[in-house]
Amino acid sequence: MKKLLYLSLSMCLILSIFSCKRSGNEQFPDRPVKMVVYTAPGGLIDITARKFTDVATKYSDATFVVENRPGAGGVVGMQSVLQAPADGYTIFAGTKSNISFLVGANAAVNSDSLNWMAMLMADPECVITNRNAEIDTWEEVVADAKAHPGEQIWLGPAAGGLDHIMAMKLWEKSGISCKWIPFKSGGAAMTALMGGQGVVYVGNPRDISGKPDLKIAAVSSEERLPQFPDAPTFSELGLSGLDNEIMWRGFAVKKNTPQIALDWYSNLFEKVTGDPDWRSFWEKGGIKVVHYGPEKFRQIIEADRKEFHHYLSSLGLIEPEMQTDPQGAFDIASFELKTLGILMVQILLLALAGIRLKSRLFHYTGRILFPIFFISLSLFFWMLSARFADGDAYGPAVVPRLWAFLLTLCSLILYLKVLAGKESEDPKPGRLDIVLRFIVLLMLYIPAIKFIGYFISTIVFLPVAMWLLGYRNRIAIIVITIAWMLLSYVLFFRILHVALPQGILISQIWQG
Amino acid sequence: MEVLTHLIEGFGYIAGWIPMLAIVTGVIFGILAGAMPGLSPSMGVALLVPFTYALDPSVALILLISIYIAANYGGSITAVTINAPGTASAVVTSFDGYPLTKKGKPGVALGISLIASTVGGIVGTLILIFFSVPLAKVTLQFHPAEYFALAFFGLTTVASLGGKNWIKAFTAVFLGLLLRTIGTEQTGVTRYSFGITELFDGFNLIPILIGLFALSEVFRQFEAHEFEVQRFESGKTHWPSIAEYWRLKWTILRSSIIGTVIGIFPGAGATIASFISYDVSKRMSKHPDEFGNGCPDGVAAAEASNSSSVGGALVPLLTLGIPGSASTAVLIGALMIHDLDPGPRLFETAPEIVYGLFASLLIANFVLLALGLLGSKLWIKVTQVPREVLFPLIFAVSIIGAFAVNNSLFDVITCLAFGILGWLMRRYDFPVAPVVLGIVLGRIAEENFRNAVKMGGYQIFFTRPVSVAILCVAVLSIAIPIIRGLLQKKTPEKNQ
Repeated sequence: MKKLLYLSLSMCLILSIFSCKRSGNEQFPDRPVKMVVYTAPGGLIDITARKFTDVATKYSDATFVVENRPGAGGVVGMQSVLQAPADGYTIFAGTKSNISFLVGANAAVNSDSLNWMAMLMADPECVITNRNAEIDTWEEVVADAKAHPGEQIWLGPAAGGLDHIMAMKLWEKSGISCKWIPFKSGGAAMTALMGGQGVVYVGNPRDISGKPDLKIAAVSSEERLPQFPDAPTFSELGLSGLDNEIMWRGFAVKKNTPQIALDWYSNLFEKVTGDPDWRSFWEKGGIKVVHYGPEKFRQIIEADRKEFHHYLSSLGLIEPEMQTDPQGAFDIASFELKTLGILMVQILLLALAGIRLKSRLFHYTGRILFPIFFISLSLFFWMLSARFADGDAYGPAVVPRLWAFLLTLCSLILYLKVLAGKESEDPKPGRLDIVLRFIVLLMLYIPAIKFIGYFISTIVFLPVAMWLLGYRNRIAIIVITIAWMLLSYVLFFRILHVALPQGILISQIWQG
Repeated sequence: MEVLTHLIEGFGYIAGWIPMLAIVTGVIFGILAGAMPGLSPSMGVALLVPFTYALDPSVALILLISIYIAANYGGSITAVTINAPGTASAVVTSFDGYPLTKKGKPGVALGISLIASTVGGIVGTLILIFFSVPLAKVTLQFHPAEYFALAFFGLTTVASLGGKNWIKAFTAVFLGLLLRTIGTEQTGVTRYSFGITELFDGFNLIPILIGLFALSEVFRQFEAHEFEVQRFESGKTHWPSIAEYWRLKWTILRSSIIGTVIGIFPGAGATIASFISYDVSKRMSKHPDEFGNGCPDGVAAAEASNSSSVGGALVPLLTLGIPGSASTAVLIGALMIHDLDPGPRLFETAPEIVYGLFASLLIANFVLLALGLLGSKLWIKVTQVPREVLFPLIFAVSIIGAFAVNNSLFDVITCLAFGILGWLMRRYDFPVAPVVLGIVLGRIAEENFRNAVKMGGYQIFFTRPVSVAILCVAVLSIAIPIIRGLLQKKTPEKNQ
């Protein structure tokens, strides 16, 4: 057994050495750079990151690894950058949408905690219409909107996003009011435009490439884009102050990243933005390739933030009370009252069941508790929905309330069926001890992954689990464990770049 | 036939050892990625995108499309052998595939899922090649009202999933729907996130899937103390005979067509398709009671439709330049990196890409068949691993799979929580598949419902003929099993 112990210990030591970060700041970079993309693969920012890493190989020997960390409008991605050390080896590929989200959601991350190194692209906002529809020029759009106030349908991605704000600006400047229909993605909204379900889509010039049915009715630019000579600018159409409405994309690192890394990036950005392949790739889609350094970039972000604040407040997406409540969660006093209410309902339902079933209640515990649990859950969701109920017939609170109501209804039927004696008794308990033992083991294993790392905790977990189940073939246990360690290390960690945790404690010991 | 000549040219473009190597590599990688819970087809495709920079665009696309096809099949392997569907659409495969394994007939389930996948994939491709243009026109006519009707139809399949326990099935689906309301909704309001960043977009589906199916099944077997390895029925593996396959021809064909057509609609095409095909097959079957207890038709319906949905999902990609699924979104990205703009003009500007793609889709399905047959002999061994070893490995695979989706430990905790919930639910006879259905369809139903009402008021669902038609079918499909159930309950009582 001792040999085994030594073997496993040395094995996990080797793995943690390999997976831990090596330090040494003489030269940057001396190991792969991780580029965090805040969307799933396939979007333009993902393409930006991947194209960048592709072009960068011409000018540098550095290896870039693109990691998609979608979620919460970029907060998940930013957090992963902020959790990594400020050494320049983790870089964030971001867009103007991130700023909009941070303003709107009052999220736990502040865009100032990142050093926004360089803005590389300015993608003009534009109004896109369906070439085959009756209304396909900006003048016609305005005339139609004025003829049917509040009825013209504009399509686009999620409400409160960049394109929605652009639409609101346009409505404001041209004195019209229209409906904004938010789709799951820009692609779905464009399909609806092609199907004639709406009049206008707000997006960027590149959106229409490959889609001959769509045309740009107006574009935000000082002069017409050479790639789209037929598309008028807003100022030509008599709308002033809309010449510089853009979607930007750029890169950021954590604050306090060493100057040596910043210089290296600045140099690389300069070279990549000058690369003919990079330029033509973006410019043919009407995107302006730029390289704005940190100073100018920060000013742009500051201006964006003010603007988002203004428009999101007018949409009601930023409530004044949320300012004081950074979690944006709920107000405690009324919450406790509601919990009390739910508790009362639970006690009432249980008491009723007790009266009806008497001692037989113990044979029906599970059958009774499940409906009560579902009813409590529904009540909880229903009560919390008051926070975002806006009285609108199709507002955000309507659908959760519908499901909560139906879940309560079904659960009540189940509950009454038990009281009426129409349900069978609880199943006879089997080996609950094994189940509980493993639930506890897994509950220990998951935090262990966080603190002492995936590899060390797994090398303990697997043999313990097999042992607990009564498997006694020691050789097989070791072979299987080692095989799994190798598989997870080589396949997941090395080839697929799954960022298996190295453990907070371990990496601190390593660095300290 | 102009298309045929182009198609023959297409085969010409991909004749050569490099494209063939790309197909074989793609298929192998795809099967493995699909079989790994946590690696969805779209992730499988995305993982290989960086490796395609150096390749010729058409070879890159062939490689990625082969992964996509094979990963859709791969999801069924773990669904059949360990009840851990790797993708949402393979959930339906597990309904009958896993019971077959428990009966000692994993070979039947694996064989049928492979053949049904291959045939489904080929039917989907043929429909794509010959009817993509008219089908694209249909997509354009689809209004949010129709998307809602379709999602509603998908939800109503619950009625037949539950069988006699239909109230429990409904309870489960409403639980899934309610949980799906967590996260930021379409107008930018964040619901029920409690300030937890990971909940801003709601729960991830894959960890829930792994928890509800794989983990809960292991817990269930712990409690039942089922540690005996299920020996093959007659001592050795039983593979289906040609006659057994032939008997499934109508199920496979019907499900393939349903799968392709529903696959066209962006969103949850493959998943809705597999639930609906399963439902339809069950209704049309002479012995609907066998469904859910290891019926070959169930496996065939699920796999044929989810594989054929690949062809459907490519319709909007090629004809409109719009992705029809998460995987095709990645494909669009890959095309754009190679400086190709997906859309109808691609047929003229780069016919070698489009027709080469069609040809390689067909070939990839045959390669999948060949490699799948080889692989099945290997997968079947999984069912013979001693339980004391298999269970810990299922935990290890589940946890790394749940983690890999988003590199997040929160997902691992979600997975465990849903594992415990799933085990308890099954213990008290609540089916867990409706929870998944609710989670998959909740957002689609809600978004399209609210958009439709916003665009045309409540009457819109009844003024658009397609929406009315789908809604009527949906309402009937809820009503019929319930009425039948009530009738059946009454008759035996009379006899007694």
